[in-house]
Amino acid sequence: MSDGTWITLISLGVTIFFMLGTPVLLVIFYWVIGISFVIDLPLANTGNELINVFSKGFALLAMPLFILTGDLINQSGIARRLSDFAYSVLGWLRGGLAMASIAACGLFAAISGSNSATTATIGSMLHPEMVKGNYDERFSAATAAAGGTVGIIIPPSIIFIVYGFLLNLPISDLFVAGIIPGTLMVLGMMTAAFIVCTVNGWGVLIGLSISRMIKTGIGAWLGFFAIGLVLWGIYTGRFSPTEAAGVTVGFCVLVGLICYPLNKVMGSSADLPVQEKSYGSMFVVEGFTLPQVPSIVSRSAQITGILVPLIAVSVAMQQVMSSLGAKDFIGDFVTGMGGYYAVLFTSMAIVFVTGMILESLPVTIILAPILAPIAASVGIDPIHFAVVFLVGASIGFVTPPYGLNLYVASGVTGVPYFRLLRYIVPYLIALISVWFFVALVPETALAILPDR
Amino acid sequence: MSIFSEAVAVIPAIFSGSSWDMRQAFDANGMWLFSLVFTLLGGFLAHKFYEFLPFMERHLERTIAVVMYLVIAGIIFWGVIDRFVFSNQWSGSTTVPPFLFMVMAWFACSYNVKLRTHLSFSEFRSNMPPSGQVAALTLDAVLWIGFCWIAITTSLRFTALSADNFQLVDGVDDVMKWWFYITVPIAFTLMSGRVIGNWLEDWNNYRSGTPIIKQAVIGGDV
Repeated sequence: MSDGTWITLISLGVTIFFMLGTPVLLVIFYWVIGISFVIDLPLANTGNELINVFSKGFALLAMPLFILTGDLINQSGIARRLSDFAYSVLGWLRGGLAMASIAACGLFAAISGSNSATTATIGSMLHPEMVKGNYDERFSAATAAAGGTVGIIIPPSIIFIVYGFLLNLPISDLFVAGIIPGTLMVLGMMTAAFIVCTVNGWGVLIGLSISRMIKTGIGAWLGFFAIGLVLWGIYTGRFSPTEAAGVTVGFCVLVGLICYPLNKVMGSSADLPVQEKSYGSMFVVEGFTLPQVPSIVSRSAQITGILVPLIAVSVAMQQVMSSLGAKDFIGDFVTGMGGYYAVLFTSMAIVFVTGMILESLPVTIILAPILAPIAASVGIDPIHFAVVFLVGASIGFVTPPYGLNLYVASGVTGVPYFRLLRYIVPYLIALISVWFFVALVPETALAILPDR
Repeated sequence: MSIFSEAVAVIPAIFSGSSWDMRQAFDANGMWLFSLVFTLLGGFLAHKFYEFLPFMERHLERTIAVVMYLVIAGIIFWGVIDRFVFSNQWSGSTTVPPFLFMVMAWFACSYNVKLRTHLSFSEFRSNMPPSGQVAALTLDAVLWIGFCWIAITTSLRFTALSADNFQLVDGVDDVMKWWFYITVPIAFTLMSGRVIGNWLEDWNNYRSGTPIIKQAVIGGDV
């Protein structure tokens, strides 16, 4: 049999493994091993990558730290305060709670850097309230899934870290470039939620109350401070992204530990309605105790233990694909499309289709090193292309069959996977519209870069 | 030398304590055979260790991962404070954490094997009959063992090479890189123990007629 036949058979074989429910990590790993045998690559190439991926730099360390930040702000009660604030601002509109859920995702994403953490945190917090508030539970679950996509676009972002790490681009520039596109994604999805809820008459309206807004705004001050700390540190170049992550973790741990006893003294409870809380008690969050810290960190370690091995095998996969000539093949195909826009849109199409069947990290690790140089060769700004690429990769989180956020939302809300697919469509339309806008208007990514 | 004698030669090389001897023995093809036996036997012993000490079964990998996580965060956080407040920075503050990250990630990966929380598309599997489910889980177990086997072989070679070259961690004195690298084959040995334990549990559930596939929860204990 020819090499091509072997490669096809191996690819079909691992696809069957995937359909049978074999973990994605093993699916990619065995594809790499199988192809390595066919093209005579030593297995050490793959095995060594399981170690080498860590020694390539300090930047990748921001990833576990921003995952931990997400868990800390959730456990400390800061995430709850951010969502309370979003609801008090948007609750008077039709679909206000759905829009608040998306806005809360945006705020949460500005401290954490993980799409699944954003979906899981906001989904588990606001799904019960949305169901109580007369929303369709499938729509509610789809809202959590879609809202989570901004988790990796609004800085800090795990996938920006991986992209910058792979292509040697300044991660702080990538973070800044993600601010406007991420905000546009939030606004686009809020518009979709508003239209769907207005058509269906979903949601219970609450009156617009300035005092409630001020109160919840005060309640969320620690969240705003953390957001400001991250953005200020990165934007001004005071910290590297990894250091910003470390500082945010330290801040969240201190806040959690200090607020716990203060909150006890004030006698406030997370279950108490906002109206019944005093202004004073809004200054402190629920916090956590020192013995709770290991269980919070343990959860973050679990998520890191899922994502990092996936990065390691994806890097090995990318090397194997290069040896196969995939780089030249895709490169020739994309280059053959023509100039600036043809390359841009062809790249977007490739990212979109690949995102439907692969997790976004492998998509980024495999395709970014192939597509980014071609994009640069036709004059697309590398930072702009990174944002376009990663917005597309983030949309992959909600495109079936392999949309990670859809699984996470299904898991935290209990709505079966296939039932929520229908309600993801309006959000997909909104996200794709924003994606094209960001692609066509480079200023959305480049305008606020500090050195331009 | 035959592959069997090469595999057997790995054992005295390990006990010789010489990184040069180990490197020579590990580079032979017989290392693959040795590693296969090591993965299966080590995994079985790890499984028995966990059975004998349930406390370790619940906490070992998780504790290592959590401690590493906190140390990483602490070093980086302190690095920033040290720089801004004391105009000072420990030279290892950017070079040691990536090694701790490696330790944390593979032990956490092993813990996820126990919890079965690695990402997968389980829609079809969940709707299979019990015999189909146990067959799919057996396939998983075989694939995990193969993963551990390859990882243990290559990481032991990597470790021996590093030790033989006296590689030091940048920015710190007297801290060898292989001290960190050696944790990778250890983590994968524990992982193979988890795989064996999970498969035995699945098989027992299948035979007793209890549900085989349960919903795994990230952050949960089961």
